[in-house]
Amino acid sequence: MQKAYSNKAVIASLVLPGIICFVFAILAPICLSAFYSFTDFSGLGSYNFIGFTNFKELMGDKAFWRSMLNSLLLAAGFIIIQHPLAIMTAALLDRKGKHAEGFFRCVYFLPNVISVAVIAYLWKFIYNPNFGLLNNIAKIFGGKGDTNWLGSGTAIWAVLIVLIWHGFGWGMLIYYTGIKNIDPTLYEAASIDGADNKQTFLKITLPLMKPVIQVNVTLAIISALKQMETVYLLTNGGPGNETQFTANYLYKQAFSSFRYGYGNAISVVFVIVCVLATQVLNVIFKEREGRKRK
Amino acid sequence: MTNKKKITPGKIILWIILIAVAVIQIFPLIWLLDFSVASNNEMFTNGLLIIPKVFRWDNYATAFRDGHVLLYLRNSLIVNVLAVLIVIVISIITAFATTRMHWKLSSTVRNVILLGMMIPIHATLLPNYVIYDKLHLLDTLWALLIPYVAFSLPQGLFLTSSFMESIPKEIEEAAIMDGCGIYRIIGIIITPMLKSSLVTVAIMTFLNNWNEFIMASTYLSTSTWKTLPFSVLEFTGMYASNYSVQFAVMALTAAPMVIIYVILNKQITKGVAMGAVKG
Repeated sequence: MQKAYSNKAVIASLVLPGIICFVFAILAPICLSAFYSFTDFSGLGSYNFIGFTNFKELMGDKAFWRSMLNSLLLAAGFIIIQHPLAIMTAALLDRKGKHAEGFFRCVYFLPNVISVAVIAYLWKFIYNPNFGLLNNIAKIFGGKGDTNWLGSGTAIWAVLIVLIWHGFGWGMLIYYTGIKNIDPTLYEAASIDGADNKQTFLKITLPLMKPVIQVNVTLAIISALKQMETVYLLTNGGPGNETQFTANYLYKQAFSSFRYGYGNAISVVFVIVCVLATQVLNVIFKEREGRKRK
Repeated sequence: MTNKKKITPGKIILWIILIAVAVIQIFPLIWLLDFSVASNNEMFTNGLLIIPKVFRWDNYATAFRDGHVLLYLRNSLIVNVLAVLIVIVISIITAFATTRMHWKLSSTVRNVILLGMMIPIHATLLPNYVIYDKLHLLDTLWALLIPYVAFSLPQGLFLTSSFMESIPKEIEEAAIMDGCGIYRIIGIIITPMLKSSLVTVAIMTFLNNWNEFIMASTYLSTSTWKTLPFSVLEFTGMYASNYSVQFAVMALTAAPMVIIYVILNKQITKGVAMGAVKG
């Protein structure tokens, strides 16, 4: 039996496809990215090795720092607005939804299954200064209704709203499942002891949901870092670099500004930031919990 | 429990919150549907919704034809079904090799592949473009299939291997005593037992890749393998001033996944919850 489980040829045949996939689609590209990050390659023709010049430039690049700041803003938006709302809605839905539970769950999650391409263009129309939904709503409340929401100053908030709106259902659904896993006898006991809804939520639901909240917050911060598609279609980082995000910026540098080498330098830093952020968050939450989360 | 039938102010507020959130989530989509059947000059209204004089169903006909919806839908289905199948197969065999088989590097290999979860796909866009260009893979099915599989694999492997660890070894050990080979054990004994986690892997892979367009628009330039999001992306240039047709093409593009979601809503809900909490 030991022999069957340690047959080298069988093992190789089982793990090679996965390893090849990883090496070819993830590891090799990142190594190549690191290679090009030390060059002044434009995307065409020849190139020179220029050492750490790209990285030095990146450290002083205002657009890059703006994109980092925007990621932080988005993460804050997720944590301060989206998640509290999601967890409250999930708790309400669980306690009060009754027969409408399935319907509401479906409605909340629906935007998530729709392509970012559709979502981005839809919101471009919602923000449209001429016939957009938002200006028409503003008119109802006595506004002039000619605001260019994607213009300078408001653009970043407009982008944040779309992202918070689009991801809401996903967070809600995970909290909802977490709440469903809470032992219902706890609620019954609380209700017998005369606890009201607010107390039940603060004393039972929230504390028991802590691990789920931690996972969700980690996911939110990572997804704020990795944001690209919506911004790419909605504003492409503009006006100026006001709504720039790192992934969009590296793409723009490589394919629009023809600074392929520089784009790769951003790529390399981007990977490091993402990996570090994930590790740091895991360490923080693991230590706080005091035990190893599986 | 006791005041089940009573209507209290608190309850009304709760319902208002639930409904308000629902309206915020769904109204933009209703607005999209409404404008998609209006005619273009009705769009400049002061109201929130339009009641079209004539329902312009021909917007959809135009969108369907000029948006290449049929071709792109076919491509999307092929790419995604293949990606799901390959991810499932590789997840199972890699999970088996790294949790069951005896070899030195088993946990190292698994952890390395799981590292892929932390890597943002966008960091591979630039180098992969050069690699695929050199290997003449641009504009082929492979340019989508390889990254889709590779980036869905870590989560697939994670879900499958954590589930596989909970399966008792006795059954397969008995099978080995009877002379059953490893491949047959995986195919006949293990795979059927993994069913519920494989459904989750399938759903997560499908959801993640179906709406993906940034890799697709980087690696594809001809329409041979373009996927459904391209209907929207290409249309906005073509019908720049005919807004209602643009609304129609957006509705059409969103439709397949919305229909799938409404039908499989229970499984998808379960899958997302399982995938996210464990992933």
